[in-house]
Amino acid sequence: MISETLSRWRSRLLPGHIVGEILSKSWIDNAIPFLMLVISVAVLSPKIPDFFAAYSLQDNSRQLGELLLVVLGETVVILAGGIDLSVGAVFAIATFASLGMFNALGWPAWVVPFGALAIGGLIGLVNGLLIGYLRLRAFLTSLVTLIVVRAIFDTLSLEYQIAVSMPTQKSAFWDFLGGGAVSGLPVSLLIAVVLGAIVHVTLTRIRLGWHIQAIGGARRSAYNAGISVGRTVCLTYVLSGMLAAGAGVLYAARLGAASSDTGVGLEVSALTAAVLGGISLGGGRGSVVKGVLGAITVTVIQTSLIRLGLGSGAGSLILGLLLLVAVAIDVKWLKNRLKVLARVYVSPGYLALPKAEHIDERSPYAPNDRLKDVELIGLGEVEGPEDVILDEEGNLYCGSRHGDIIRFFAPDHKRWEVYAHIGGHPLGHAFDREGNLLVCVSGMGLYKITRDREVVKLSDETNRSLLSVIDDSRMRLADDLDIAPDGRIFFSEATIRFDVSEWMIDALEARPNGRIICYDPRTSSTRTIIPKLLFPNGVCMAFDGQSFLFAETVGCRISRYWFDGPRAGQLEVIMPNLPGYPDNINRASDGNYWCAFVGMRAPTFDLALRMPGFRKRMVERVPHDDWMYPNMNFGCVIKFDIEGRVLDCLWDRHGVNHPMITSMREHRGYLYLGGSLNNRIGRLKLGNADPNWTGIGSYWRTA
Amino acid sequence: MGTLARLVDYIRGGGDHSISVPPFDGALRPNERIEQGTIVASAPAPDNLVATPGGIVFSSGRAILACSGAVAGAGITTLQQYPTAVTALAATGDTLAVGLDTGGVSIRGGAHDGRSFASVDERSLNCPVALTFENPGTLIVANGSARHAAGEWKRDLLERGTTGSVWRLDLASGRAALLADGLGFPYGLLPLADGSILVAESWRHRIVRLSRDGRLEPVLRDLAAYPGRLAPCAAGGAWVAMFAPRRRLVEFVLREREYRERMMAEIPSDYWVSPALAPMQSFLEPLQGGTLKVLARLKPWAPSRSYGLIVRLDANYRPVESLHSRGDGTRHGIRSVLETADGLLAASAGANALVLIEHSHGG
Repeated sequence: MISETLSRWRSRLLPGHIVGEILSKSWIDNAIPFLMLVISVAVLSPKIPDFFAAYSLQDNSRQLGELLLVVLGETVVILAGGIDLSVGAVFAIATFASLGMFNALGWPAWVVPFGALAIGGLIGLVNGLLIGYLRLRAFLTSLVTLIVVRAIFDTLSLEYQIAVSMPTQKSAFWDFLGGGAVSGLPVSLLIAVVLGAIVHVTLTRIRLGWHIQAIGGARRSAYNAGISVGRTVCLTYVLSGMLAAGAGVLYAARLGAASSDTGVGLEVSALTAAVLGGISLGGGRGSVVKGVLGAITVTVIQTSLIRLGLGSGAGSLILGLLLLVAVAIDVKWLKNRLKVLARVYVSPGYLALPKAEHIDERSPYAPNDRLKDVELIGLGEVEGPEDVILDEEGNLYCGSRHGDIIRFFAPDHKRWEVYAHIGGHPLGHAFDREGNLLVCVSGMGLYKITRDREVVKLSDETNRSLLSVIDDSRMRLADDLDIAPDGRIFFSEATIRFDVSEWMIDALEARPNGRIICYDPRTSSTRTIIPKLLFPNGVCMAFDGQSFLFAETVGCRISRYWFDGPRAGQLEVIMPNLPGYPDNINRASDGNYWCAFVGMRAPTFDLALRMPGFRKRMVERVPHDDWMYPNMNFGCVIKFDIEGRVLDCLWDRHGVNHPMITSMREHRGYLYLGGSLNNRIGRLKLGNADPNWTGIGSYWRTA
Repeated sequence: MGTLARLVDYIRGGGDHSISVPPFDGALRPNERIEQGTIVASAPAPDNLVATPGGIVFSSGRAILACSGAVAGAGITTLQQYPTAVTALAATGDTLAVGLDTGGVSIRGGAHDGRSFASVDERSLNCPVALTFENPGTLIVANGSARHAAGEWKRDLLERGTTGSVWRLDLASGRAALLADGLGFPYGLLPLADGSILVAESWRHRIVRLSRDGRLEPVLRDLAAYPGRLAPCAAGGAWVAMFAPRRRLVEFVLREREYRERMMAEIPSDYWVSPALAPMQSFLEPLQGGTLKVLARLKPWAPSRSYGLIVRLDANYRPVESLHSRGDGTRHGIRSVLETADGLLAASAGANALVLIEHSHGG
């Protein structure tokens, strides 16, 4: 079929899953502002001659440095959930004050910045006290400050305009502030970069920065968490005022004059830069880098508009429109990001399973009712015993959805206790030579419970693969494990893309997202040994001690891997086409292996696996509970030999007593059954099994 | 403009590409009344229930069976066996009209005993799925599909079939008049006092009134399930046997041509993504997320392929009452109901039984 061939190649060549993985990254928030910057440079640079010439860049970056300082302050204020409209007025009055101090009063140049910063800080403090402590509205308060400070500036400049503009002294430091450069970089930009780095480190690494972001994210929660909200908010306004004043000093040193339109519209530029950079006006989301991106974009646009000869009115108009667009994008993006992510994250691949064999009365899988009357253990008392295991005394251990290991006491398994609390849902279990219980815990990794019930983390991290977009060094869904005679632990991680509650989605995606990982306790090292598997699940040591068997649930196959001996490193598929979805594999007393089928293959699902486009549309259009799944309401247990021949098959044909089987464990002539969505454990008397055989004996007591 | 709008619909899943299904709400709020009913007789996949002077008669596979005596605790006797499945029944007096899966309608008893009509107006009655007598000499026949036999109804649905027709057949002369054509599987008929006929159009999930002059007027649309046979209600109005639920996955598959065609070509019909009459029996059937057993329980709200639903319409054809057997129940696939003195009798293909449900008109 042509369309099927096409979709196979499409699925193989186009890595559709990467789109979702990139969208799930937190740095994706920077992508839009960066794109805007690139677009504005691309659009404006051809229109302006020598856009990239050195003098032009230096002139631009000098102004950029001043704007950056203001934007930095605005960023911090917005991050804490506020807004500061007074920055333009503060900038103006700082410019005026600096000139006054330097020209009219004749103060030494090095005093001037401190004086200006003090004025800016003072105005910021007024804002901060009103907004932080008295809880006035940030917008109105800073608007009032803007008007008041601006009025003072206008009054003073009417009176003293000439006095402050007349140079009375010369200072190398003052000239350096205004026009100096260090290896080509203007002083103002240098100062902005240094301060930006400090603010960045403060926001991301220092307690104060975390407090600021926490307040912006959720003011009440921050208060409840014990953060001093009023003080922190006040501090952000002080900082903003001081940074705006700093920009004013640089401006004064550069131009040596203050006119009536100094700092007019600066608050709009700063706000536009912040929002354009992707700093959310709602607070709590943003970074210094975003502010810088926005500031560069605004500077590029502003200077370009001036050089294009547009009037200052047109410049403000365009800036205002840009602000509007940025705010709209901010709101929509925040609201819809997760929706978009949910839509594109699931990326079904092409998987053509061989045609499932027909199951009838003559088939080795012939349905029967041998599991119909299994005894039930812990009915209604356990939830989600994915795997079960027994110790030498016959005590039964299983995991539960609540993050516990439950122990049912021998001999009748009526009484139980919480053996250990881990916190994640324990899946596969195994006993090591010393009698420690090793478990794979979903979302957490590989854990050990010592005989003293101490929970020890063995591994939650493996080597990161080179080209993976999502961080695949973390373990997301450690599933089943087994232990080699030399103590190495081989375990499966079913998928690196989904959590345990979403494992069915991984089955729907049918991509090789899983892997087999080896933990070596001798070196405490963890590394991935077989990547790109289709939901690897059960792992079981073969009796030869040099190889293990593992099941790929979604791939419907069982493979054997040699980790030791002459065939080390070889992989052989021993059962390539199962009629069901294999889960855990464990040893049987007669030298063969048990495997649980968690579900059976439905032909409609097999067909859908060959049509990724169909599954993709289904994921997008159809609600989660209506998605097509493999048929997991029926399952069985098979016994097979190392050659892959099916020897026996146990069914509960109607799936009433023990509907889902994900694991089984033979112990002294009985078979114990676990199911990851069950509230019970099953126990079946095996007719012809060795009544003295135990799993621990088989692993650790043989020569 | 139309093409563009369709393209937008295709991308956004709106308009004809919308897969939304009305919820069971209002008069259709779920209850367990069918599950609480009593099983009065067992028979494989019982279908069309009709009342005759001799008692209640119904079809089951190839047989026509009769309940002897009172409804509760009735004994079952076989009236007649046919070589092929019986697809519809109608009764007037002693006369029974019988629709057959190989096509055609046979008359049993009465003045026209033994007559059969394989085609009308050179068109084959290949899919007679509903019959009703307008008067002892005139039979209304609903031919569900011109392309498929009644047993192939899933295929007709998945092909979005609209080739059903309704005929008025004069038994004496054999003359037939085409009343309506191009219907999406007319599965229920109910003659009304004014001479018009109520028709359940399953694949369009609506009920239409076919007036004497041939006009089709929808009286109830956007049903949450596929309407099947109609039965008169003593309090006025009608009973609708809704034989299967509409599910969003099926609605979605109905809009996926390639998948549908390959599914129909490669997979036996029992295992299709389609509505069904009985709860899941085989591990080869498709499963939907909400139908997964958790803690060994199937949820009542599970999006099962089959469901049991009977709806009562008032004289203005508004739904006023409903009886349910939900996703975790078994009395699904109710294709025919009959109001009796003891209560409402329903034929459940899912439970292979006739279920008697207590019923009283509260007013």
